[in-house]
Amino acid sequence: MRSWLMLLSGFILWTIHFFALYIAASAFPGQPPSYWLTGLITILCLAGVAFAVMRAKRGDGASGMDRWVRTVALCGLGLSGIAIIWQGLPALIV
Amino acid sequence: MRSETGFDPALYDRFPTNEERPPEELKQLEAIWCKPRGWQLLTAVNNNYVGFFYVAAAFLFFLLVGVLALVMRVQLTLPLQGVLPQETYNQFFTMHGTVMMFLFAVPMVEAIGVLLLPQMLAARDLPFPRLSAYAFWAYFVGGLCFFASLFFGLAPDGGWFMYPPYTGMAYSPGINADFWLLGIGFIEISAIAGAIEIIVGVLRTRAPGMTLERMPVYAWAMLVFGVMIVIAFPSVILGTLLLELERAFNWPFFDPTRGGDALLWQHLFWFFGHPEVYIIFLPASGLVSMMVATLARTRLVGHALIVLAFLATGFISFGVWAHHMFTTGMPNLSVGFFSAASMAVSVPAGIQVFSWIATLAIGRPRFNAPTLFLLGGLVTFVIGGLTGVMVAMVPFDWQAHDSYFIVAHLHYVLIGGMVFPMFAGFYYWTPMTSSRPLSERLGKWSFWLTFTGMQLTFMPMHLTGLMGMPRRVYTYLPGREWEVTNVVSTLGAFAMGAGVLVFLIDLARNFRFTTDDDAGNVYGGGTLEWLPTGLYSTRSIPVVKSLEPLWDDPELAENVEAGRYFLPGSATGLRETIVTSPLRAEPQYLQIMPGPSVWPFLAAVMTAGFFILMTIHAYYPSFACGIFAIICVLRWLWDTDRPVGQEVVDVGAGIRLPTYVTGPGSHGWWAMVILLVVIGMIFVMGVFSFLYLYGVQPRFWTKPADLGGLALILPAYGAAGGLALWSRHMLAREATQLWTPGVLFLCGALALAVGIGADIWSWNRSGLSPSASGQGASVYALLSLEAALAFIGLLMAGYLSARNSRGMIVRPRNNSLDLCVLFVAYAAGQGALTAILTRVVGG
Repeated sequence: MRSWLMLLSGFILWTIHFFALYIAASAFPGQPPSYWLTGLITILCLAGVAFAVMRAKRGDGASGMDRWVRTVALCGLGLSGIAIIWQGLPALIV
Repeated sequence: MRSETGFDPALYDRFPTNEERPPEELKQLEAIWCKPRGWQLLTAVNNNYVGFFYVAAAFLFFLLVGVLALVMRVQLTLPLQGVLPQETYNQFFTMHGTVMMFLFAVPMVEAIGVLLLPQMLAARDLPFPRLSAYAFWAYFVGGLCFFASLFFGLAPDGGWFMYPPYTGMAYSPGINADFWLLGIGFIEISAIAGAIEIIVGVLRTRAPGMTLERMPVYAWAMLVFGVMIVIAFPSVILGTLLLELERAFNWPFFDPTRGGDALLWQHLFWFFGHPEVYIIFLPASGLVSMMVATLARTRLVGHALIVLAFLATGFISFGVWAHHMFTTGMPNLSVGFFSAASMAVSVPAGIQVFSWIATLAIGRPRFNAPTLFLLGGLVTFVIGGLTGVMVAMVPFDWQAHDSYFIVAHLHYVLIGGMVFPMFAGFYYWTPMTSSRPLSERLGKWSFWLTFTGMQLTFMPMHLTGLMGMPRRVYTYLPGREWEVTNVVSTLGAFAMGAGVLVFLIDLARNFRFTTDDDAGNVYGGGTLEWLPTGLYSTRSIPVVKSLEPLWDDPELAENVEAGRYFLPGSATGLRETIVTSPLRAEPQYLQIMPGPSVWPFLAAVMTAGFFILMTIHAYYPSFACGIFAIICVLRWLWDTDRPVGQEVVDVGAGIRLPTYVTGPGSHGWWAMVILLVVIGMIFVMGVFSFLYLYGVQPRFWTKPADLGGLALILPAYGAAGGLALWSRHMLAREATQLWTPGVLFLCGALALAVGIGADIWSWNRSGLSPSASGQGASVYALLSLEAALAFIGLLMAGYLSARNSRGMIVRPRNNSLDLCVLFVAYAAGQGALTAILTRVVGG
């Protein structure tokens, strides 16, 4: 389970971020709290990504499948970090 | 090397073995996995047969509704054509979309998975062969009946997404809409059955040594595909149930005058509908990733990145459903989020496309038929992807929405993303299932006709749409300058049809189905499906040491065929395969597999009969079919979960594995957990519907049922879960006599029934009826879901009692009991949540 969690950690964080934003925007449609919450949720999820990256980096000495899982997980975390920032941008421009 | 299960990886070094295998071993294997003949084909469960039937049936539906498309194009060639009356045209385009999505695309990718995966993973078969057979027959029989509705003028006519209120009783009073709602019920069951089979198959039946790192990229695609079905399909299952409840019993989920909301349907439908596109695309992408390396005669560039892209697509595609609803007036910020996600999902698609281009660029591709189809698909999909990014931009979507631009976009994505790769796959893998490969010459003709036809048909549609022609119109007036593009589109459609016809001629001339005399590895693929195979898959199950084992070990095929790896014969005299661990594929136990049986076939026919007869309001025959379907399923299960005499057997090179495992390590447990995820997702979407209606129509909500009712309901559910778990605990006690585990389980199931009974009674007393408002409808929908679980729990109790009376519930652990306990414990939890949630919201 730990390997799966590491492999999918970036995308799980993206999912949490997306649905949290959707709930916030639906609960406070067109109101300021939806914008503040977007910023807050984005920062928290980015912190989650940073934490997950640090955890994944601990396994630098891994080999074989463990190293492969770690590499894919780190790429996924990088992609998710960018996607989370991208996903939060509408709050600045809409 | 680390171990996942305690298995010593050093044992792999014993393979390939040196000693000669006894000559009768192969004969015994062939006898156990013998070919079905004549009527026995109806009882076949082996993946070679079921997979082939499945592919053929899906292709048949593709042809049938392809013909509908040609007739529609004739109708639209010029203004005011009279080929199809308006009502018939509506039925044609609805059936075209519905059948292409539900009866062709998803079943086809599932079918190819059933056919390819066991060979690719070197498993003897998928872990639940009878489930595969059931899924196929339910789909095929039900699908034919569904399609036949067209000949009686009863086919659905509300478009493939069936938006209410148009599909409600007020505007669609006939049974056409019911055909869609109930008719695809069996397809949903079939798709989920297939997904469970594929997920467990990929995770638990890989060849030893095939770690996640060495897993073929197609298996990754199918794993993500299966998980996406499990998450996405419950949404449309719930949606169809709710709309049917509204039509049949006047429960107003989608009626805004009584606290419902038509947009709820759109949320439920598109939460399934958009991931559906990726559900179709990902397996095709997996096929392309497998083929491109072989056809370019090099290794796939960016294997890990493609896996990453599959995973990313699997997640992000669930965040884009509302981009189909940009014109419905959602909050601006929400629209912004969905727009951003819709653009983001093109990133993983881009990763895949660039990986394929790089592979082709560094390799030495031969431009044969599969390569051409692959390249044609690539070009077409990229164009569709780019127009997808265009419509992800809200201002552009407002202009293009519901116009022919969208028709062009979706056909580019689906034909480029799935149909061309499918044809490439046909040419590439036919030598695996046919004694002759398909013709290169005819293949190239077929490609150029379909590719040119595709571009001619759909490229002008972008313009037609931008010039203002709306979708779903059966004709148009002259003088709008839509004639030229429509004529070109029609000519293109017939060119595509000619391409498909050439392919059919090629099939007729060259395809000869075989299970043991195939044409072989024509293109020089490096993965395990190209090992010599029979109905038992490979003679022995190899140890996998790389991504392309056949390229890296030229002697592998010979050693596998000589029986020098795992399981060179049958260890128990029965059908069997090795179950391995999910991460590192370490051998864990020997699964005894069920053989041919008529029960899955009969269960499927009865299931299809249940849905179809209900649609035409033949309620008594329908319920009779439902009861027979349940009996058939129980009868098929009766033969399973029977431990064999040998508790531990030698699976080759002195390595010994158990033949019976229970608990979280067993494949049955995994399947039940996935099924519970499906049920859980239906529940989650039900809760979403409940909260959504409360959010948009709070003025219709009244005081909920009394919280005091929980004093009876919660203890009942607590007892249900507790007794079920206790029964599992007590099974391990040899001396238990009075409160046998079977009685405890029965009491647990009864407590479940008491819990839901008390909940329904409590709501009845509150005076809220299901037809009164959106609140009533959504509360009773959640209660109905729980009641269905309680009914299944009682069936399970009866089934376990019957098995117990025949001494088939073996101690100290038994899979049948374990799985039923898991189900009842889950149902109790869901019941408790339902009772609490419905009482704390509203009023």
